[in-house]
Amino acid sequence: MKDVESLWDLFQKRNVSRRNFLKTCVTITGILGLSPSLISDVVSAAEKQPLVPVIWLHGHECTGCDEAFIRSQSPFASDVLLNMISMEYMDVLAAAAGEPLEHHLQEVMKKYNGKYLLAVEGAVPLNDDGIHCMVGGKTFVHNLKEVAKGAAAIIEVGSCAAWGGIQAAKPNPTKSVSVSDVVSGKTIIKVPGCPPIPEVITGVIMHYTLYGQIPPLDSKGRPKQFFGNRIHDTCYRRPFFDSGMFVEKFDDAASKAGWCLYKVGCRGPETYNSCGNLRWWNGLSYPIQSGAPCIGCSANNFWDNDPFYNRMPNIPVPNTIVNADQVGIVAAGALTAGVIIHGALSTIQHKKHHKETHDTEKDNE
Amino acid sequence: MKVRTVAVYYVFTIWTRIFHWLMVGAIAVLFCTGLYIGNPFYIGSQGVEPTFAVNNWASMSTIRFIHFAAAYILMASFIFRIYGFILHRGDRMLPKPWTKLFWTGMLDMGLHYSFLRSEHRPYLRNSMARAGYGGVYGMIFLEAFTGFAMYGQINPNSWLSKLFGPINHLLLDEYVVHIIHHYVAWMIILFVIIHVYMATRADMSEKYGEISAMFSGVKFYDKEPDDVGDLKE
Repeated sequence: MKDVESLWDLFQKRNVSRRNFLKTCVTITGILGLSPSLISDVVSAAEKQPLVPVIWLHGHECTGCDEAFIRSQSPFASDVLLNMISMEYMDVLAAAAGEPLEHHLQEVMKKYNGKYLLAVEGAVPLNDDGIHCMVGGKTFVHNLKEVAKGAAAIIEVGSCAAWGGIQAAKPNPTKSVSVSDVVSGKTIIKVPGCPPIPEVITGVIMHYTLYGQIPPLDSKGRPKQFFGNRIHDTCYRRPFFDSGMFVEKFDDAASKAGWCLYKVGCRGPETYNSCGNLRWWNGLSYPIQSGAPCIGCSANNFWDNDPFYNRMPNIPVPNTIVNADQVGIVAAGALTAGVIIHGALSTIQHKKHHKETHDTEKDNE
Repeated sequence: MKVRTVAVYYVFTIWTRIFHWLMVGAIAVLFCTGLYIGNPFYIGSQGVEPTFAVNNWASMSTIRFIHFAAAYILMASFIFRIYGFILHRGDRMLPKPWTKLFWTGMLDMGLHYSFLRSEHRPYLRNSMARAGYGGVYGMIFLEAFTGFAMYGQINPNSWLSKLFGPINHLLLDEYVVHIIHHYVAWMIILFVIIHVYMATRADMSEKYGEISAMFSGVKFYDKEPDDVGDLKE
């Protein structure tokens, strides 16, 4: 896009009706988690606010977040949201490649200095001077710092950018870290998830585009409207949890009846995401709805919280598989036996000592 | 009959004693309900819709409510403890690792408990007990902080969440908070086993009135305890 224009300009250029424009604004209001009374604000912003140029960098990752992003398909909004951003650089979707594209990046950075939104996907490997992830012959950490300098705000797309992701899981051979670990002094929005919900990615960009400012964030830097609640607290299977009705095994009757997956390792009670209310693929489903426990993919360090299908992690005891409760029962039992033995020995010693002192007292008399 | 002459030491105020027994009850309830919450099972007749099963006398919802209520009682009972702490020196027998007595007392008790010394010096509260109680208060506070960190997140915009929510981030993520809460609960139970044994042992062999002191507030000594300075000016 040559000139930075508004969403309404774009609609007019494509001969889409005002009616459709307003419908889109209503959809956007809903997706952004805004109150219906703010529709008029959204409409006026969509009329006036210029589209924000976006630079999208890829680091140490699998491009799964792109796969999610391009499937953003909330009714009517999908295509719009994609077209709404003035996407200036994204190596996996760009028609150009190689030097011309890298050259374009330099130009965009200069042209929109201090104005562009930087979306980063992937972790930043630091080991061995960052050579574990190279783009255009330079290390990713170098590119990131360079592009971040002129960014108005940075969005960490996906768990890798937000926390380090699978690369940062133990033993983290490349010493991968999150974007916020290497970039400082910038407004950073975390949009974790492996991948994040497509509508959440577009929704956050959308919010910035419309309001020219970042959405309200929680203390961890995640947008409140999407990461405000635990999946557990928005889960449609919550009544089964509250009633104590649990799936014990993946092939039991309870699992067919759709009871709560808490005991087969569901991380819903610890995970903040919109899966419970937005769901995936146009509200089609989400892991818990399809009978698979949440693995907590938007939580920090979730890869190390294995095994995923157990409520509690195992405690490393050689030649056996035990959890905290089993260890606790054995420890409490052993300790009880220990104090009984100690008590018996104490009694013996006490009696002996008592007799001795008694004897010496007698001798003294 | 041999007559034993003892001096009476008023150690615990009524406030600390009330706190102690409230704490015992609350921790017992918290531990039992906590075990259920960590590894629940269905209690009640089968074939009931969750809409109705939630009203069962022992549904997950009810047991969680009992857990949270007991937690609030434990927290509220600390008001008694603090009041006693301010009021009376005997309620302030903290571990004092900066004193020589703390370390000689620790050695004394260590040798006594490992059967190498048949008798130990008289103490109002020996160094090992002081360290142990310091430790268990630490564990209770850790449970309280991690507990409120998880509980507060039911409403992420509440003041409770603003106060304790950052703990979830401090400890990597909320899953780790669950695990710490669970492990420390077990450690408190291990403490209880040792505590009950040690108190019973002292009560039976030393005749200072160790157990009854937590009801009456007084202890009886034939010799002046080494740490009497903590009680009197």
